[in-house]
Amino acid sequence: MSDIQSEMRAVAKELLESGEATVVIGWEKGTMPYNSTPVMIRSAAEVDKLIWDEYCQQNLSPYLIDFIYTEDKVAIFAKGCDTRAYNRLIQDKRITADKCIIIGVPCSGMKNAKAAARLPEGAEVPMANACKECRYPNPVVFDRKIGQDVTPWCTEKNFADVEAIEAMGQDEKAAFWQSQYSKCIRCYACRNICPACNCTNCIFDQSASGWQSKDINASENEFYGVTRAFHVAGRCIECGQCEMVCPSDIPIMLMNKKFIKDIDTLFGAYEAGIETEGPTPLSHYEVSDPEEFM
Amino acid sequence: MKVASANDVKRINNLVPKVGVVREILDETPDVKTFRISTPEGERPFTPMPGQLGMYSMPAVGEAMFSVTSYGDDYIDMSIKKYNDGVLTSVLHAMEPGQEVGIRGPYGNGFPIEQFKGKDIVFIAGGIGLAPVRSLILYCMKNREDFGKLTIIYGGRSKEDLCFKEDLFENWPKVPNTEVYVTIDRPQEGWDGHVGFVPDYVKEIAPNAQIAAVCGPPILIKLTLPILSGMGYPDEDIITTLELRMKCGIGKCGRCNIGSCYVCLDGPVFSQAQLNNMPKEY
Amino acid sequence: MKTIEKAKLDGFLSQLAQQYRVLVPVDYNGLTQFAPYSQVQEGVSKLYFDGNVTVSPKTVYLPQSEAMYKFRAQGKKLAIEELPELDKQQVVFGVRHCDTKAIQCLDKVFLDEKFEDPQYKNKRENTIVFSLACNNPKATCFCESMGVDRAHAEASVADVQVYDFGDTYGFEVISDKGKACLDAVTGLGETESKLPDQKPQTIKFDPSGLPEKLKGMFEDPIWDSYQFKCLNCGTCTYICPTCHCFDINNKIRGEVGMKLRTWDSCMFNEYTLMAGGHQPRAGKKERVRNRFLHKLQYFNEKHGMFLCIGCGRCVAKCPVNLDITKFIQQVIGQ
Repeated sequence: MSDIQSEMRAVAKELLESGEATVVIGWEKGTMPYNSTPVMIRSAAEVDKLIWDEYCQQNLSPYLIDFIYTEDKVAIFAKGCDTRAYNRLIQDKRITADKCIIIGVPCSGMKNAKAAARLPEGAEVPMANACKECRYPNPVVFDRKIGQDVTPWCTEKNFADVEAIEAMGQDEKAAFWQSQYSKCIRCYACRNICPACNCTNCIFDQSASGWQSKDINASENEFYGVTRAFHVAGRCIECGQCEMVCPSDIPIMLMNKKFIKDIDTLFGAYEAGIETEGPTPLSHYEVSDPEEFM
Repeated sequence: MKVASANDVKRINNLVPKVGVVREILDETPDVKTFRISTPEGERPFTPMPGQLGMYSMPAVGEAMFSVTSYGDDYIDMSIKKYNDGVLTSVLHAMEPGQEVGIRGPYGNGFPIEQFKGKDIVFIAGGIGLAPVRSLILYCMKNREDFGKLTIIYGGRSKEDLCFKEDLFENWPKVPNTEVYVTIDRPQEGWDGHVGFVPDYVKEIAPNAQIAAVCGPPILIKLTLPILSGMGYPDEDIITTLELRMKCGIGKCGRCNIGSCYVCLDGPVFSQAQLNNMPKEY
Repeated sequence: MKTIEKAKLDGFLSQLAQQYRVLVPVDYNGLTQFAPYSQVQEGVSKLYFDGNVTVSPKTVYLPQSEAMYKFRAQGKKLAIEELPELDKQQVVFGVRHCDTKAIQCLDKVFLDEKFEDPQYKNKRENTIVFSLACNNPKATCFCESMGVDRAHAEASVADVQVYDFGDTYGFEVISDKGKACLDAVTGLGETESKLPDQKPQTIKFDPSGLPEKLKGMFEDPIWDSYQFKCLNCGTCTYICPTCHCFDINNKIRGEVGMKLRTWDSCMFNEYTLMAGGHQPRAGKKERVRNRFLHKLQYFNEKHGMFLCIGCGRCVAKCPVNLDITKFIQQVIGQ
């Protein structure tokens, strides 16, 4: 890890000193050992803030949106999932490639910070859930790359948890999701951290429209959760940030994975955020498409 | 365990509106209407001081804060501009007399009347900004002997957009020791009065008063306050009103703060001297 | 002081539950919060005493969503009906000292002389708080720095002081309400033990002079470095025990509606957005700055106390670890 960290600092220094980048976004050490948190660096003198450890899970690509109206040239460090998020934003036309420098960083999987916070000091911390199932630990797109590519430890999508829910009866399923969404405090952290939730004007920020009441109960909360899951269907890049930041411990990825599974079944295997061109399962139409519902 | 006996005493919940009845609706301009409201018993809903506010609602739609532009023995008048993206103002504009609405207040500090007494006053307003200033103008005219010369400078986008035309062109010019200046933004057929923006007009007139009350859209306030300072008005005697989003009206829901002041509670009337000590976040 | 063995806590709470509505800290499917003890009795939730709960006990007085009044709008007619108040006194067991101090902050807002809030007051008057002293603070706790007395709960809020003696809880009466409540319980023991040791907190600083210092820092470049990573989500504001901003909303079914008071967050765009489009706090910087200054300067100017009591929830739960203690320490230069 430390080799990558020194490479990171060297690259950041070079980019800032040469003027190739005006901003570098990476991770710095946070309050607790299990907090590695985004940092924006504008001067070569600050590059020693940059760190690389097993808690750099947060996806940095969404921060690129903050710079679309500035004159900056922004370099970000990007793991496999960050590059899929980057492709997501390019595909959604929220950012343009000419403003960004992607410094790819192969990743061996991050640890579960939430679990670390609960475990006694010194205990073995498991890998983050999303990372366990990651099939793209190496950057899928980059301008530069540091470190050595790693061998993916997972090659197939794992839907065991989704199947467990599918196996439930209707009432049981409803009760499960009710009990999960009754915990939601509607802080919108899952939405705000999500690379696919990049709309300029989200319906949940328009309470006057009447779509979503500000009342808090399982059904209103579920409406929020399900609507969001529908909207990221076919676009979720499986970084698992939504679930990681949820203060209420709602298994948000379970719903996202159900959509991924259904899309694979209905439209053929699809991986979001790998390509930026070509048809996408839910926003592409061909005359020959079956229209069984008509 | 039984609840504390103090609960048996009926408490007043300031957040719960009273029912008011809209008695008359007056078209001021294409997008401003004045609503005359009394209680179902025909009484005045509350007694505001000039510049104070009232929370006016259609409970099924929404609730918003407006200034009370005038009042009589058995009513208050609120003049409201319709915004296309304002759900409540659109519904309010579509209503007819007899409609029952929610009303609560009065809120805010109002104009510092004592500070205005004995002085020559210039009132400067643009658009719907005349509504709060009018409450002060009417107070001064009602208690005419307590105040010096009254100079009113008012502007609108066009002649149709001028509020309270009867006051501007009929009533107020007749009041002793009172001058009324009206301007519109752009030349228009059928208008032989002054054309130009309010801040420029203020500069041109250079009103020689001792205290100023300014109200209008943010840009008017922003441009006019420095002009008055430049004319030598002391910061304490440049008085303006601010407007921010409000929900509770009683300094609890949080959103209308500017620094440690709440506009609904400590405002909406502020002097330039107060603004100098507040963050520029409005 | 009176005591109860921890093994008999369920019996103690069950006794209270016969007379009061009892609220306890629970773990419900991974979310920790205060909930009716009946949830524990039914096996839906587990009692949770390992540190503070994620959602603070401000929910007892200021629920996230609370009905304010009913209305019926029928054609031109409007009828408004206020709602009944609490019909039963409630006991909240296990409120930490930091959170009692937070309720004191809320009192400044909702029990002010000019516009007292009767819904809040009704709950304040009819709630008996058992406040539990913390022996083992979490690494994110900094209540001591924010002026919280770790040995004694805020006396204007707590009715019974609870100490953790390992296998037993000890009770010290603070108010008459608390005495009446304890007197009604049978099977309590008695002890003269000295108060338990309290481990020191790792985050420590002295915030005196902070409001004065911040007064001149509205345009300081410090905000640029703190605002960058903020997501403008509402986590910090919703789990904060002192954040009290609310929105007023409707719930309508046909002609009948309910006015709701729901939590709001200064992090959200709609919070300050006006009809007509004016937005005084348009971005992350303005919102982070307003939140920190409200906590550390504005509230102090109005009420003479900080609106941050050092519970550490935001430090622990902010998705991007935007740490208010780092900010404070940078400003005071420690």
